[in-house]
Amino acid sequence: MKLLEVKNLIKHFPVKNHKGQVVHAVDDVSFHINEGETLGLVGESGCGKSTCARTIIRIYDPTGGEIIFDGQNLATLSQRELKPIRKNMQMIFQDPYTSLNGRMTVRDIIAEPLIAHKIGNSQKERHEMVAQMLKQVGLNTEHGTRYAHEFSGGQRQRIGIARALILKPKLVICDEPISALDVSIQAQIINLLTEFQQKEKLTYLFIAHDLSVVEYISDHVGVMYLGKLVELSESKELYKNPLHPYTQGLLASIPALDIHAGKITDKAEMSGDLPSPISLPSGCRFCGRCPYAKKICAEAEPPMKEAAPGHMVACYLYS
Amino acid sequence: MSKEIIVSPADWEPLDIENDLREKIWSTQRTFAEDVWFRFSHKKSAFAGLLIILLLMLFAFVGPYLTPYSFDTQTLDFSNIPPLMEVTNVDDNLFYITANLKVIHVGNNGKLLAALPKLKEDTAQKIIYYDFNGRELPLSYQKKPAAILNHEGKRLRRDNKVWNTSYWLGTDGLGRDLLTRLMYGTKISLIVALIATFVNMTIGMIYGGISAFAGGSVDTVMMRIVDIISTVPLTLYVILIMVIMTDGFLSIIIALSSVYWVTMARVVRGQIYSLKENEFVYAAKTIGSSQSTILFRHLLPNAMGPILVTATMMIPSAIFMEAFLGFIGIGIAAPMASLGTMCNDSIQALRSNPYQLFFPSLMICIIMFAFNYVGDGLRDALDPKLKK
Ligand SMILES: Nc1ncnc2c1ncn2[C@@H]1O[C@H](COP(=O)(O)OP(=O)(O)OP(=O)(O)O)[C@@H](O)[C@H]1O
Ligand SMILES: [Mg+2]
Repeated sequence: MKLLEVKNLIKHFPVKNHKGQVVHAVDDVSFHINEGETLGLVGESGCGKSTCARTIIRIYDPTGGEIIFDGQNLATLSQRELKPIRKNMQMIFQDPYTSLNGRMTVRDIIAEPLIAHKIGNSQKERHEMVAQMLKQVGLNTEHGTRYAHEFSGGQRQRIGIARALILKPKLVICDEPISALDVSIQAQIINLLTEFQQKEKLTYLFIAHDLSVVEYISDHVGVMYLGKLVELSESKELYKNPLHPYTQGLLASIPALDIHAGKITDKAEMSGDLPSPISLPSGCRFCGRCPYAKKICAEAEPPMKEAAPGHMVACYLYS
Repeated sequence: MSKEIIVSPADWEPLDIENDLREKIWSTQRTFAEDVWFRFSHKKSAFAGLLIILLLMLFAFVGPYLTPYSFDTQTLDFSNIPPLMEVTNVDDNLFYITANLKVIHVGNNGKLLAALPKLKEDTAQKIIYYDFNGRELPLSYQKKPAAILNHEGKRLRRDNKVWNTSYWLGTDGLGRDLLTRLMYGTKISLIVALIATFVNMTIGMIYGGISAFAGGSVDTVMMRIVDIISTVPLTLYVILIMVIMTDGFLSIIIALSSVYWVTMARVVRGQIYSLKENEFVYAAKTIGSSQSTILFRHLLPNAMGPILVTATMMIPSAIFMEAFLGFIGIGIAAPMASLGTMCNDSIQALRSNPYQLFFPSLMICIIMFAFNYVGDGLRDALDPKLKK
């Protein structure tokens, strides 16, 4: 059953001092996540992953498109109408340092969702719930009275996870929850998240900027490039058989997966930088960096097509 | 020479490391407030400033209870007596001659005892005769300065100096104790400045907070208004407001509070504007916290540092502004006194009684220095990265 379905989501930011120009942060993105599954969303820095996540959870108002969560279109709801829905949809943030308020104790941070949704009858009851949550994320009760700045990055991310999970949401959007952490801590956090998923039947939208991280935890993986979804497929299939030249390039850039890269051909190595999301090239957005670019690629944007069963890709090589 | 060190192989065995141990927080951490206090108190100028402010508060609020005078009791006989008196010694009795030719009997310890009663005046000779315990004491004012004459009619020199122990800082033109008035004036000035700063801070926080929080066109309009207000020198507004209203304690507070919040509003807006993009604010939004929770629990507490620094820096300007208004004669109304009106009172007699201007001016300087140093120290303590 689909828990979240995103249809043609668009988010444009106006450019300051340039009337009419916009940043195409998210441009016509569609995907869905089944209940209890994990969708990995991958792409380079600046390709619009965070914007996509923040628009789904309605930190930003979408420019266009639909966000259907639990059968309800969130795109058109007001903040007031959204409030009861927020209980079921939470987010873990990218930066463990700025995502916790430094003027609040850990206990107050984790209790904030309870207060906002009037859960728990007394302060004591809420503190009890917070203490339990702290234990579940691997911290102890005494940590509750401390301030966030006293903790390491990994511990801070645990606090962020506790805050997101205390409401027992259905969907958790993880916006690069581990990219700011040491490699040794990354695994711990991933394990914690998968543990919770199994225990609580959580659904994850898991964002990362390289494919190696998502491989282990995702059922499906979507690859974003410059505000567009360029490839979407089952996780195993994507790693075995990457179709889009950009995905191939991403895979080639993972050192541990050199065997794959060798199989793909060296041409897949990407060169050049991300074009500006303000003035986009006409045609395929990857065209300028693509080793297989044809004439048509510069003329019209390739549509998303099913190139193999359950394997969607937006590239003229496969149509 | 060489000493044998025996190390058993067991010492090189790795210790069992438990996972909990790895994530344990070892150092005892200071809270933010303790941290700020540590840095603040280790800055000498800031600490001295704070100490001076505390002493000033004692001086202004407790001091008036310890002096035998009230700020408005007049003793016209003892007007314009300086703290250090040049007295004439006549047979071991000390006399102080005032500028308006009165003779005051001064005790050996520097206490003012009494003004001598006048017996008669010889206008031709320019001599005034005073009565001192039945004796005649002639005062000649033919030549300046006036002097007491001895039996042979010779001018006696004012060659003794004694400190005025009745009025430590002397008296003003109406014979009021300057020390008491200085305490009272400092108190009024501090109260005016503190209330005005508090009101400015509150208005600025609310205005700037709403402006930044609302954003968009609301923000643009609100900030344009601030820009317009601040194009005209603020002093001018204050003077205009004071002219329109009757002069008094309340109107000066209103005048000072209604104008200086623009600085605070700008500071608060800038702070909130940058804080608004922080992920913890987004987190509060995704949690479903209310707008007021976000503003008062998340945004303002994090902006408090710069707000406090700005407020501390506003106090000396408020003190100075109040003093300036008092000095040009549109400040606190008599008989109340502030440091500014005291300066104003003393300016007419500046030549003959410079001490009357000296003490209130000195007080203004000390207060301004103290608050500026505290503000400086606070800024460095709150944000060590911003050190100038
Ligand atoms: N509030 C905003 N206003 C204007 N432009 C924005 C805003 N937020 C993001 N952008 C722009 O949108 C684009 C996508 O940004 P986004 O933060 O979503 O990227 P990302 O994929 O999350 O990158 P990273 O991996 O660095 O987090 C960028 O070009 C960015 O400059
Ligand atoms: Mg991001």
